[in-house]
Amino acid sequence: MSVASKKPDLPVQFGVYISLLIVIVLTLVPFYWMIVGATLPQDQFFTYPPRFLPGTHFFENLADLRDRFPYLLSIWNSIFVATVYTVLSLFLCSLAGFAFAKYEFAYKEYLFYFILATVVLPVQIMIIPLFLLMANFGLLDTHIALILPFAANPVGIFLMRQSMKSIPDSWLDSARIDGASEFQLYYRIALPSVKPALAALAVILFLFQWNAFLYPLVVLTSEELFTIPLAIERLVGQHRLYFDQIMVATALAIIPITILFLLLQKYFVRGFAGTAYQP
Amino acid sequence: MTSIELDSVNKIYDSEGGEICAVNDMDLEIQEGEFLVFVGPSGCGKTTTLRMIAGLEDVTTGTIEFGDEDVTDLRARDRDIAMVFQDYALYPHMSVRDNIGFGLRLSTDIPESEIASMVEETAEMLGIEDLLPKKPSDLSGGQQQRVALGRAIIREPSVFLLDEPLSNLDAKLRDSMRKEIMELQQQLGITSVYVTHDQTEAMAMSDRVAVLNDGELQQCGPPEDVYRNPTNQFVAGFLGSPSMNFLEATVSSDGDTVTFNGDADFVYHSEASSIAEALGDRNRCTVGIRPEDLVVGAESGFNVTVTVVEAMGDENVVYAQVGDAEIRARVDSQHRLSAGDDILLGFDDDNVYLFDAETGDSLRTKDLDSAEETEKRITSPER
Amino acid sequence: MSIREHSSIQAVRTEGRIARNRVRDSLPSFPGVPYLYILPFFIFFAVFLAFPVVYTLYLSFFEYHGVGEGFLFAIDLGVFAVEVPRISNVEFVGLENYTRMVGDGLFWLSMWNTVIITVFQMPLMVLVSLGVALALNASFIKLSGLQRTLIALPVSANFVAYSTIFLMIFSEQFGLANYVIQLVGFEPIAWQSDRWWARVMLAITLDWRWMGYNMLILFAGLQNIPGRLYEAAEIDGASAWQKFRYVTVPQLKPMLLFVIVLSTVGSMQLFSEPFIITEGGPSNSTITILYYIYDQAFVYFNLGYASALTYVLVGVVTALSIIEMKIGGED
Repeated sequence: MSVASKKPDLPVQFGVYISLLIVIVLTLVPFYWMIVGATLPQDQFFTYPPRFLPGTHFFENLADLRDRFPYLLSIWNSIFVATVYTVLSLFLCSLAGFAFAKYEFAYKEYLFYFILATVVLPVQIMIIPLFLLMANFGLLDTHIALILPFAANPVGIFLMRQSMKSIPDSWLDSARIDGASEFQLYYRIALPSVKPALAALAVILFLFQWNAFLYPLVVLTSEELFTIPLAIERLVGQHRLYFDQIMVATALAIIPITILFLLLQKYFVRGFAGTAYQP
Repeated sequence: MTSIELDSVNKIYDSEGGEICAVNDMDLEIQEGEFLVFVGPSGCGKTTTLRMIAGLEDVTTGTIEFGDEDVTDLRARDRDIAMVFQDYALYPHMSVRDNIGFGLRLSTDIPESEIASMVEETAEMLGIEDLLPKKPSDLSGGQQQRVALGRAIIREPSVFLLDEPLSNLDAKLRDSMRKEIMELQQQLGITSVYVTHDQTEAMAMSDRVAVLNDGELQQCGPPEDVYRNPTNQFVAGFLGSPSMNFLEATVSSDGDTVTFNGDADFVYHSEASSIAEALGDRNRCTVGIRPEDLVVGAESGFNVTVTVVEAMGDENVVYAQVGDAEIRARVDSQHRLSAGDDILLGFDDDNVYLFDAETGDSLRTKDLDSAEETEKRITSPER
Repeated sequence: MSIREHSSIQAVRTEGRIARNRVRDSLPSFPGVPYLYILPFFIFFAVFLAFPVVYTLYLSFFEYHGVGEGFLFAIDLGVFAVEVPRISNVEFVGLENYTRMVGDGLFWLSMWNTVIITVFQMPLMVLVSLGVALALNASFIKLSGLQRTLIALPVSANFVAYSTIFLMIFSEQFGLANYVIQLVGFEPIAWQSDRWWARVMLAITLDWRWMGYNMLILFAGLQNIPGRLYEAAEIDGASAWQKFRYVTVPQLKPMLLFVIVLSTVGSMQLFSEPFIITEGGPSNSTITILYYIYDQAFVYFNLGYASALTYVLVGVVTALSIIEMKIGGED
């Protein structure tokens, strides 16, 4: 990092601070605007000039939203799908990543680079066949259809292999002498040793599923199975006039994850830095 | 506690360029309760051998027996061994307490309460009871080493394996841990195999030292024996610090006097009959002299120019040039030598080692009497 | 010779071992373990990733007539039988799906829209995120960590949810954006009804969402530049600008390239934002290529044509990435 021996002149410093302040304000305004919209009663929403202070109508708006749409169920669906998906994918990726990092077997390098090559493929390239597969399996309009497809994640196996490579062989040998079975090596030694990488990968996977829109849009049709993005899309498409309620929905979609981001920031950043995937 | 026997053990790796022989036809017996040290340069096969004894590495051909039991195909966890690794291999996510108890939890049915008290006792023995609740990352290198030892001995293994356990420690700590490991081994009486690349460590710690090079056992015996009577030039050069001086020479015999004509301005006449005997009718050989056997200010010897003087305290290591060859001598610091001095280095006939110029096999070693004795014990490598 | 009194240890150990080994030995032996570990991943990988990628290519030479019935083929081995279903009912049309694109005006428009939005969006975003990263990395900045966190907040925002907020902000009549613009004395902007402003609006929206993300990556890159390089430059008498030009830029270049390629790939796959905010309008001026593919596939069920479009999109994205890396790679 820059170790400037002399600080720049005060006006320059001032200018930099002002610029950063503008960027921060622009970044925060939409969040603030969302809160304002979610807490104003509906009749005060579409006014001109717009209102700038939050109201107190959040829970009334939430109640109206729930009358209109089973939105809390959508939140639950999103949490459920993203969590199950994350756990499944972590298991598949870490187990295979462990094999690639710590065992020798035939065609190992070829297999790994074959998987890795698929990182560059956009998710969209799989959607049409996935739709057909799910139709054939009778899984259209189920949560399973959302959970299974992207569980074998090339980014995931890459991150897991990288982090598990740094586990010294001696830890595994030592555990073998201590009487551990091969599977115990995986879950008692390898997994706990790469907790930070697991957390970072979990963030990537969870957000991928949490944000997924196009594929769920294709697969799901029943409102009671909708995830948050589908629910908001449905609200915007069919109930465009009730923007106070829509803002409650977006606030409930954004604020918990933002709090999670603030709490687990280092894993988010580590996850972003370790992935070439813009989901 | 058990004896270990390696019988024609081979380890061959497949690699892209063909097969690589990491350990070649190794025969070795390790007695019950013995402390045996494998020593050799890196890549000599010492760690591979240790890992085969541990069961972490398959044996390509040959057998390994513990006592009367053939363990060649037994998995590591079924061999009743414990091992200490160079990087200690402490599991970072477990406390010291859990690290020490891990093996007992996995491989025995001892109740939890008893494990806890065994962990306490072991920690007390090693003086680490205060560290039990800590994580390995909070410990110093020496403390981690003690925990690793604790984890190994708590299981009361019949064989104790140590893979360069001291090489990550700083010099001072290394000396004290060396002593501690020796005491511990004597106290417990567990058959121990120790791998190191440090010949000083090997000499200091072992009941017997096994010198390896290029996957072959060169010599195995008590450290003093191996030091005084190396079977070949490699062993002679590997043990001792600074290492033995070697000078290649042509030999001419004139009645009672043997004359060595070094490739590097080195001429040496000897009237000792043992030297002539050892040489037979060879006309080339390699002369070896240990640095501590060279004397400054002798009446005869060879003239050298000092190039570097390393002060060691009461002794100095003097580097000097003899023609193209470099000579190392350990001399008393009272001589006050400095670079550029011309000195006369002499040595006694008794201290001359001779090696075959082609094979490197020893022709004459230091102590003729004991040489014959130990010859029976020394397993000479097959070439 | 035990130094302790646990004389039972050997007996207990043996008993425990035997019981445990019975379980362990029923597991596959040592050499099979890695294959066992990669098997679950590869099953998922084959069915849900490798197969679809190939099948999309296959479909692009066919016309789709409906979900398939019956079996493509079946393997009967007595003990177990595998029946591979025919997952779609298709008719071979050769390259027709690809030749059809040439005359498809909406395809070309969607390509054009996507490229235009990318061109509007990316330079601004890269410049701002670089500027912010540099500023936050400067030694005189206080509370750098807090400011970084605030600026990075949008990285956690759900795509559809944040798009909805921007739909409201850019409302022509009631939106915050137009209010502020009028406040400073300009005419309100037709964000939703003007073709060009609609594209600009999407570009701004994307910049908001991704600026913080890219800033984090660039900031990490700046942090990784060894301080001694700046010290050496300082000793060599470099000015602040020279330090930036000859130390920061070359050291940060891989990260910058990474950000640019990533953003291109992302922008070319733009979908949620136009779908929510503009619904492709006005007059199809914000239909992106992926939006068009979605319409073809799941509104008109031209799955064959949509597959061909998908492969063209992948081809274009790959080509753009390679071009960017080629340009960025040489100096």
